[in-house]
Amino acid sequence: MKRKNPDAIVIGAGIVGACTALALTNAGLKVLIIDRGSVASGTTGAGEGNILVSDKDPGPELTLALKSRDLWFDLQEDVGDTFELEAKGGVVVARRESSALMKLADHQRSAGVTAEKVNGAQLRELEPYLHPDISEGVFYPQDAQCQPMLAAARIIQTVLSRGGELVSQARVTDFEISGSSVSAVITSQGTFYAPVVVNAAGTWAGEIAALAGSHIPIAPRKGFILVTEPAPQYIFHKVYDSDYVANVASSDADLQTSTVVEGTRSGTILIGASRERVGFDLSMNYEIVRKLAEQATSLFPVLRDVQLLRVYRGFRPYAPDHLPVIGEDSVVSGLWHSAGHEGAGIGLAPGSAALLTDAIVGRESFMDSNPFSPNRFAGVRV
Amino acid sequence: MKKNVSFSFNGSEYTGEEGQSVAAALLASGLTQLRSTRFNEKPRTIFCGIGICFDCVVTINGVANQRACIVTISEGAQIVSSQ
Amino acid sequence: MIAVIGAGPAGLAAARVIALSGVAVTVIDAASKPGGQYWRHRDSVTGYKAGRSRKYFDSIQNHPLITYINGAQIWSAIRKDNSFHLNYIQDGVERTLHCSQLIIATGAYDRALPFPGWDTPGSMTPGAAQALLKGHGVVAGTRIVISGTGPFLLPVAVGLAEAGAEIEGVYEAQSPLRWLQSPLALLLNPEKFFELVYYAKKIKKYGIAIHFGRAITQFTAGTAQVSKIRSDLTMNNLGTRAVNCDVVASGWGFVPDLSLGGILGCSQAVDGDGTVVFHVDRNQKSSIENIWVAGEATGIGGSDLALVEGEIAGLSAISRRIPLALRVNKMRKQLFARALQRSYPVGNGWQDWLEDDTLICRCEEVSCSHILDSVNELKAEDSRTSKLFTRAGMGLCQGRVCSRNVCELISEAKQVPVVDSERIAYSNRPIAAPISLGSLADGIAEQ
Repeated sequence: MKRKNPDAIVIGAGIVGACTALALTNAGLKVLIIDRGSVASGTTGAGEGNILVSDKDPGPELTLALKSRDLWFDLQEDVGDTFELEAKGGVVVARRESSALMKLADHQRSAGVTAEKVNGAQLRELEPYLHPDISEGVFYPQDAQCQPMLAAARIIQTVLSRGGELVSQARVTDFEISGSSVSAVITSQGTFYAPVVVNAAGTWAGEIAALAGSHIPIAPRKGFILVTEPAPQYIFHKVYDSDYVANVASSDADLQTSTVVEGTRSGTILIGASRERVGFDLSMNYEIVRKLAEQATSLFPVLRDVQLLRVYRGFRPYAPDHLPVIGEDSVVSGLWHSAGHEGAGIGLAPGSAALLTDAIVGRESFMDSNPFSPNRFAGVRV
Repeated sequence: MKKNVSFSFNGSEYTGEEGQSVAAALLASGLTQLRSTRFNEKPRTIFCGIGICFDCVVTINGVANQRACIVTISEGAQIVSSQ
Repeated sequence: MIAVIGAGPAGLAAARVIALSGVAVTVIDAASKPGGQYWRHRDSVTGYKAGRSRKYFDSIQNHPLITYINGAQIWSAIRKDNSFHLNYIQDGVERTLHCSQLIIATGAYDRALPFPGWDTPGSMTPGAAQALLKGHGVVAGTRIVISGTGPFLLPVAVGLAEAGAEIEGVYEAQSPLRWLQSPLALLLNPEKFFELVYYAKKIKKYGIAIHFGRAITQFTAGTAQVSKIRSDLTMNNLGTRAVNCDVVASGWGFVPDLSLGGILGCSQAVDGDGTVVFHVDRNQKSSIENIWVAGEATGIGGSDLALVEGEIAGLSAISRRIPLALRVNKMRKQLFARALQRSYPVGNGWQDWLEDDTLICRCEEVSCSHILDSVNELKAEDSRTSKLFTRAGMGLCQGRVCSRNVCELISEAKQVPVVDSERIAYSNRPIAAPISLGSLADGIAEQ
């Protein structure tokens, strides 16, 4: 069947690929999305749906996060209210000493984040079931939440309704490079030609890049999420302790856990978070399950009587400097990357898509994308 | 002769025979609904009867989502519909 | 130390032979009384050949070498050093059982197929009607219809009739002529003929009408619709009859419970009837050293086979010779089990019975059309992705009731066969039973 070739191919039908495909489609390009599985087969299918500004230090990632958060609400206008997007707000509590958290909040405020210091009484109003001993925290009304798998699927549905295409079960095996430009993607489902190819393959973006002879060091950082039985509403915002911020920024390969608790529309409560570098090992670890349960119940004693139903694991794709990789490949022109968003993929997806699309179509963007450039890995061997 | 065991369900008093499950005792008393579903508020009661399906869940003495078909009735238990 | 998980026929047979051979063994079971499903009882076991259960109950209750831990729900298990740690909840407290050898005999549960109204009170599985009667002395209703497939429908009907219920009819989907496909199994299991005679007498005594090639395909409170169906379960549309009843007990074979063996890494395969079962060798050894599996978890085969497999597993676990007679018995019973599969297949035709709003996932109230939308609109290609979009399988039962049905519904919609790995994925759960966060946090109270 002879079809017109797409203007751009997006590799990856997760949240980053979906947002990128929609941004390109809205900029007038015909987009083909390919994935070795189907929609949300990778990290997006194991995510919580975090759209946070609260957990980022001032810098390029926070700038991207602030813009991206607002773009999520634009997406809801464009795609429809079909993925449980909610400006839920985040409450970060200081369990031990609070000076680090308060200092961070001050810095974030100067970068445009709304960060309200709250005392014990205010915390109790925000979260009545919070442990009474916790008396200091920061409220971030900009933090939001969505259902990430539904978001990816609905966004892709919109792309398809605007002339885009999706080819699933298509494993990329090679690239066709003419001169120093990419001209086609070769897959198990055939060869697809386009002058623009976006590598949005998340935790596997490094492998995809390598097929084009490019070095993008993305590695997996395993995480666990506990899911409880449907419970009465005990938690009203995303609540986490200030250890979370330190762990996100850490390069430690060993297991790190912090406390993240939130309710969902369906009534279940999600509990995280753990980070460890164990390669692509999805095996269960009951000690981590216990640790996360212990942390959650110490923040919310009422959870002691709530039952755990299931546990799921996934891999956050991260780059060694904990910044995403967004931009044109340093060697192969026409090949663009948008990957390595670590645990912030959902939140950063629309912003990354906007940044990348602006670069691809050659217009000015809302921020300088240089800090995210793939060039920073050129010549670096990890 | 089996001993009678009294307990309450949604505020009303019921009796069952010693050793019976909550679900069995309530069914024997003519109750055909243990709860309503949380989205569509449809009536539910025993379905698999052996603790697999969790359709018969009730809150017993404050603990939620207990399977009525496998929990034995105990004297004075306060049971209410879950969800 | 040897532990047996499950106190049904297979587990009891294993424990008994181990104890009689002079070796200590612990039996751990979630129910408060032994017997599993098959020998569920209040005071004593009733029904065909009920007497043979006596010696097993006597062993578990009285034999000095058998330790019996009841009311214990295992939620996880790990292998540490050279032993297995079984984490369980008993009376709301978490405990652990250590053992060096493990015999898994966790049995199976009824497979339910969805149909319009299957979520209405009064609609249940035959296992539920059986458990209520045998375990609690409660008759499920006054006018009862039994529907589905398999020999299990008969003892359920007879038991209920003996207790005074009016059995409106037993609707068996398959024709009994299918047994003619398995002459060897019938020849080698002559005692089954006497069992058949037993039921025939009871059926006559209570005037129970048996209909073949029929199934209940709809239920509203008070009325069930009986349809003529073909062997693949598609509706024949030549006549649907209404039947007055307050209970429909509908069941379509059984599903083995794999959670614990799966957690410990025992390898699995898809059996001829589409169920996922554990690989075992002729001595019931699983793929993991020091773990044996007996009974329904190795393949649905009924209590006769479970008893034999349990005994073999027990003897193997204590390194005793397996007598030739036992092996011959197992061979006969396995032939019979395969004949059961041939005689009572469950085809995909049940999908014909569904309406748009028929629930497929009972826990999360996900309808047929919602699942099909997830395929057609949201591009889900397998049950795992559909689950992420619709929540089907994410509720309290964690897909025990619906996963296979969701999977087959999607496979039919996409015209793509179900792959074994998907069947194995939906049959395994790292959290085998719900456990409170408080218990998890507190760690384990050592026995």
